[in-house]
Amino acid sequence: MRTLKTSEAAAMLQVSPNTLRAWERRFGYPAPRRTTGRHRLYTEGEVATLRDALQEGLSISSAISRAREGLSSDDQFLIGALSAFELERADIAMEGAIALRSVERAVEEVLLPALDELAERNGTDSAPWAFAARWADGWLRRAQRLAPPPSRPAKVLIGDATRDELDPDGLALRALELFCLRAGARVVSLPVRGVSGIADVVGAYDPDAVVIVGAHVGDDDVARWAYRVRSAAGPLPLSLFRRGSRTVGVRAAQHRTLPDAPYAAQSALMAIIEEPRDSLADLSAFGEAPAAADRRRIGA
Amino acid sequence: MRHAPRAVPGPAAQPLASFCSHCGHPPGASGVSPTRVCAECGLGLLLQSEPAMAPAADAAFLVVDHSLAVCGLSRAAEELLGVEETLAVNRHLTDFLMPADAEARGGNLLALVVAAASDGGPARFAVVRPAGEFGVRFRVRIGRCGPAPAALLVVA
Repeated sequence: MRTLKTSEAAAMLQVSPNTLRAWERRFGYPAPRRTTGRHRLYTEGEVATLRDALQEGLSISSAISRAREGLSSDDQFLIGALSAFELERADIAMEGAIALRSVERAVEEVLLPALDELAERNGTDSAPWAFAARWADGWLRRAQRLAPPPSRPAKVLIGDATRDELDPDGLALRALELFCLRAGARVVSLPVRGVSGIADVVGAYDPDAVVIVGAHVGDDDVARWAYRVRSAAGPLPLSLFRRGSRTVGVRAAQHRTLPDAPYAAQSALMAIIEEPRDSLADLSAFGEAPAAADRRRIGA
Repeated sequence: MRHAPRAVPGPAAQPLASFCSHCGHPPGASGVSPTRVCAECGLGLLLQSEPAMAPAADAAFLVVDHSLAVCGLSRAAEELLGVEETLAVNRHLTDFLMPADAEARGGNLLALVVAAASDGGPARFAVVRPAGEFGVRFRVRIGRCGPAPAALLVVA
């Protein structure tokens, strides 16, 4: 998937860069990603789709509506493939989605919405959901293996508090891992129920931030895991992702809640890692033993 | 003596008028770009119609397809109807304009719009009111525009 700078996208559409920015403000389309230097990056497929829609459009709004419809048909194609239990067709749907978008947008605009739809239709305890979730988990893992090598000094430790790979939050976790890897960070995920030997892992890995993902595991187990991590690594910024109303037993001021969308969460996480360390909510909240934290919570 | 039929020149084809779907302005000296984006405002596409049908610059007008879905709304029409084009597109015409001619038959406006979007013909007129409002009436001129066939409703 090729990306275009503003000047390249404007040239493709034969409009000025100012017009392209005005369209983004008025119509929200095409929606560029931002580089670390805040420059706009457009996906070539999205711009090409809009160029084609403009040929027959009766207004910019209607052309953009048609371009959006063309892009949104990918998730319907994926839903159809997974509903028919056709793995090859599901792979083709994602290939088509990636041809028009970045991997991040393909995951957020096609894969995750399609899985949400299937979860709603079938329930997350059904065989059709298990089939679709396993395929999606496999697809995200394959995409992780194709991620570029680390390019920034950022190491993320993820505490996996999801039920299993069939937990919808588990797919969001895989997506977050993928986006962090593609942003150049290193990522290690460990289940929060496994505290034995965690000090060895954390000591060797030396993370810059910790994220607790999922709402399945209770606060006490998570607090115990986080305490062990803190004991091994010292104070670290702590964030929660898809944790619902659970707080791992610390006050709201002592952790950050990341947005539910994986790409927004990854962006927020990278910003947290790059912030000056003394301004951060950190794992020092776990400086006392979980039992003491429990007493304080109960007392409150 | 028997006369053989021969071709004769027909009436000279009248050049179509171009105007922006947002501001209503005609294209400038640079002409129509391949993507048809208005060089004046950058927020509309250049449409074509019979010169008698073309709206004046900054006029209020709507573009509606043969299924009566709104496809475009000029800047003046946005102000007149109190709705942004981005929110109006793909909605039914009667969400914004209702027939208000007491002497016309019930579906007259919609029939005129469908006919204009389908086969063109001369400009027709109808009286309408904004949906949900009474006591305000507009006269609209209904004709055809393109390139994709559609009806053009210019508020007179």
